Amino acid sequence: MKRALLAGALALSLSSCSAVTRGGALSGVPADARGMFLSTGSAPGRYVTLGFVQVRGYGVQVAGYAETGHATLDGPIRGALAAEASRMGGNGVIHIEFLDENPSTDYERAQAVAQSLQNLASGQRGVETKDRYVTVTGEVIRFEGAAR
Amino acid sequence: MKRQVMAAVLAAALAGCTVVNSVSVPARGASAEPFVTAGDITEPHEVLGLVQVTRSGVLLFGNFDVVGTDLESGFRQALLPAIKEAGGDGAVRVRYQMTQYTPVARVLGAIFFIFPLPSSVTLTGQVVKLKTATAAP
Repeated sequence: MKRALLAGALALSLSSCSAVTRGGALSGVPADARGMFLSTGSAPGRYVTLGFVQVRGYGVQVAGYAETGHATLDGPIRGALAAEASRMGGNGVIHIEFLDENPSTDYERAQAVAQSLQNLASGQRGVETKDRYVTVTGEVIRFEGAAR
Repeated sequence: MKRQVMAAVLAAALAGCTVVNSVSVPARGASAEPFVTAGDITEPHEVLGLVQVTRSGVLLFGNFDVVGTDLESGFRQALLPAIKEAGGDGAVRVRYQMTQYTPVARVLGAIFFIFPLPSSVTLTGQVVKLKTATAAP
C-alpha cells in the first residue's frame, strides 16, 4: 500500500500540471481590407466604437481528450464574436480578451481516460465527461474610410 | 418529471452551445453621452480617477433579469451615469464581465424556479476628461 502511494506520488510529480490552451492567429498589420479585423490590441487606423460583446462558448470534454461544442478559443472569436460584430455594423473587433475557464492538465486528462476505461470495463458507469467554458470579450469597431 | 427535464435539456442543447451578449454605445462626439473604449485615446486628457460598477441580481425562472445584470444595463444604467457623476467625458481601458448561462442552465433554472440563478455584471475603467484646446495668443 505504502509502495503504491509512493509510486502514485512519483507519477503525479513527473506528470505535467500545467494546462495549455491554444488558438489560431488573428489579424496582422496591415490587415486584409476585406473581412473582419480581429486583434487583442488596438486598431491600425482611425475607427468608431460601436459597442461591446461578450461570448461564452460551452462544450463537453469526453473521456479526457475528445472536445465537443464551442469551448475553444477559435470558435467563439471567429464565429460568434465576429458574427455579432458584423450584425452591429462593425468590421473589426479589438482589445479581445479571452479566458478558458477550466482547462484540464495532462494529469487530469490521463485520469479521465483511466477512469473512463475502468467504468466501461466494470459496466457500471459511462465515460467521464467534463463541462468546458470559454469566455471572450471584445470592442466592436468600424474603421473610418478605407484605412486599415 | 424526469422525462420533462430530459426533454427540456435536449431542446436547450439543440438550441446551441454559445451565448452572446452585446451592447451598443454612443459614438464619440455624436451625442452628449460619455464615450467608452477598451483602449486608449490620443487626445490630451486629464485622468479623473478609477471606477468600478457592479449590478447584481437573479434570473427569475432562469430567464427574467429583473434588476438588469446584462451588458446593456451595466453600461447604460451603471457605467455611463458613474462617468457623468465623476464629471468625465468618457472612460478608457474599460473591462467588463457578466454572468452568462447556457440555454441548458436557463431551462433548468425555469424548471427549478424556486432556486433563482444568481447573475451580475461588473465593469471597470478609468474616467477621463478631455482637455479643450486653448486659443493661440
